[in-house]
Amino acid sequence: MKRASAINAPSRVLVQVLLIILVVASLVPLYNVVAASFKSADEFVENTILPPKSLIVDNYVYAAISARLLRYALNSLILVPLGVLFYLAVCISAGYAFGKMRFRAKRLLFLLVLFLMIFPQLLLATQVFRLISLLNLTSTGFGVILTWVAYFAPFGTYIMTTYFTDMPYELVEAARIDGASHARILVSVMTPLAMPMIATIAIIGFQSMWNELPFSLLILQDATSRTLTLGIAMMRGEFGLRVPIQSAALVIAMAVPLVIFLIFQRHVTLGVTAGAIKE
Amino acid sequence: MMGHRRLDNDGIAPFLFLGPLLVLLAAFILYPVAMNLVASFSEWKGYGPMKWIGLANYHAMLGDKSFWISISNTAILACYIPVSTVVTVFVAALLSEGIRGWQVYRAILFIPNLLGPVIIAVVFSIFLRDDGPLNLALKWITGSTRPFLTSPVYAINTVGIVQVVWVHLGFGLIYFLAAMSGIDRSMYEAALIDGAGFWRTLASVTVPSIRFAMEFWVVFSFIEVFARMFSFIYTLTQGGPGYGTFTLEYGIFVQAFVNFHSGYSGAWSTVLFLFCAAISVAQIRLMRRRSL
Repeated sequence: MKRASAINAPSRVLVQVLLIILVVASLVPLYNVVAASFKSADEFVENTILPPKSLIVDNYVYAAISARLLRYALNSLILVPLGVLFYLAVCISAGYAFGKMRFRAKRLLFLLVLFLMIFPQLLLATQVFRLISLLNLTSTGFGVILTWVAYFAPFGTYIMTTYFTDMPYELVEAARIDGASHARILVSVMTPLAMPMIATIAIIGFQSMWNELPFSLLILQDATSRTLTLGIAMMRGEFGLRVPIQSAALVIAMAVPLVIFLIFQRHVTLGVTAGAIKE
Repeated sequence: MMGHRRLDNDGIAPFLFLGPLLVLLAAFILYPVAMNLVASFSEWKGYGPMKWIGLANYHAMLGDKSFWISISNTAILACYIPVSTVVTVFVAALLSEGIRGWQVYRAILFIPNLLGPVIIAVVFSIFLRDDGPLNLALKWITGSTRPFLTSPVYAINTVGIVQVVWVHLGFGLIYFLAAMSGIDRSMYEAALIDGAGFWRTLASVTVPSIRFAMEFWVVFSFIEVFARMFSFIYTLTQGGPGYGTFTLEYGIFVQAFVNFHSGYSGAWSTVLFLFCAAISVAQIRLMRRRSL
């Protein structure tokens, strides 16, 4: 049931108009990219604003093949899901330990995880770069996945910890009395029950890694190893003034996040609120 | 058998569960932060030997114009936090009145968050160019253009408006609408019976009820401004024009990876670390209040 509204009917029309203006204004920069992606370089100069006269796809072919966008997309589609799996394993097991196990220094370690959650990549970059070079992992997928998981795991661990903490301890106790190990309890009792929250942090992890720039920029130096996000960021210098090709590349890059949103909208929404409010 | 073991202790098993996390944190977060501090007292290229030089890097930093510009740029971005908070809470309050299509508005305004800072930065690098679509439209309407990305004063405010206000709007709408949906309906009915209009209700029912969420939001925004701006700025303006969009994060990047002065970049890192540590403590206090 909707609650009683303090806005009367004439004002509601005004509010609708206001919101439509806001939404349209927000979509204009994106419209511009889609429109430009179908224009030739010449047409873009003459007709920057209006829709394209014809739908040419040359820009897409050039962006996908010559500008290697397809290659970058493939890199991201391999690295990010692998990173997410690794991230889930780390966050779920640490979250279970903090949420349901009893040990010394638990509070202190958990505070440390919370404390480390927000430091920017650039604060870590110099040493992370050195460490990755020492381990001979420069330009490797494994190198960048390691840094992603280390960097994003504190937040995922925090979410899983609060979730596991709220689950009844009797679940663990009963299984313990039956002689089950903690590993067994985690895998066959807690993980199935925590599936909704695991799906949520999987989406959070996916988005974080998909959009990550600083570590990818420093570690993936070999041009063919770039992620899609890194490829898009580097494209500005490499393709200078050719806006229509940049635009086609952007449209290609937008596809995956938008599809994820359409499929997992509920989890994306939950992900926004998971970190903070719980009223 | 169980009786012999103390119930409040699971032995070493928890540390096996925590092992991967703790190793990663030690290697990729704790060690780097500590090493930056050590490096900040030395002359170092990021490889090879370190030469101890005491506080020389800090002296140099305090006399470095780009350092103070980066502090003032960060302060300018921070000024957009109250703007963003007011705009976001206001729009959320409108949507929470059961406006038709509110879910559609919420979803569309969330799109910038979905696309991430790099894509958004390239989108705006095209949209806001001196000869780009917005300037063409402005020229047609007002007769003149604006140097959104090519004047330092404009550029930092462009970053503030696009990233701090506009991108975060969609995120904040989901966040505040969730908080508002938890407010007791009877409070709104009481306000209505008292004859309170939209503004009165917003000020006396909605805002006080989501105070806690707003505090979280402000801390989150500070994290974004101090610690999450690099990707957007790197892609949009590369810190420029001049030092126009230089921030602490960007300074660290340039000193360490362009000039190869890792020791000097360590001194900048110390300053950024102190800001982030203060924000982190504020966030932890909020999180702990929540779990009470």
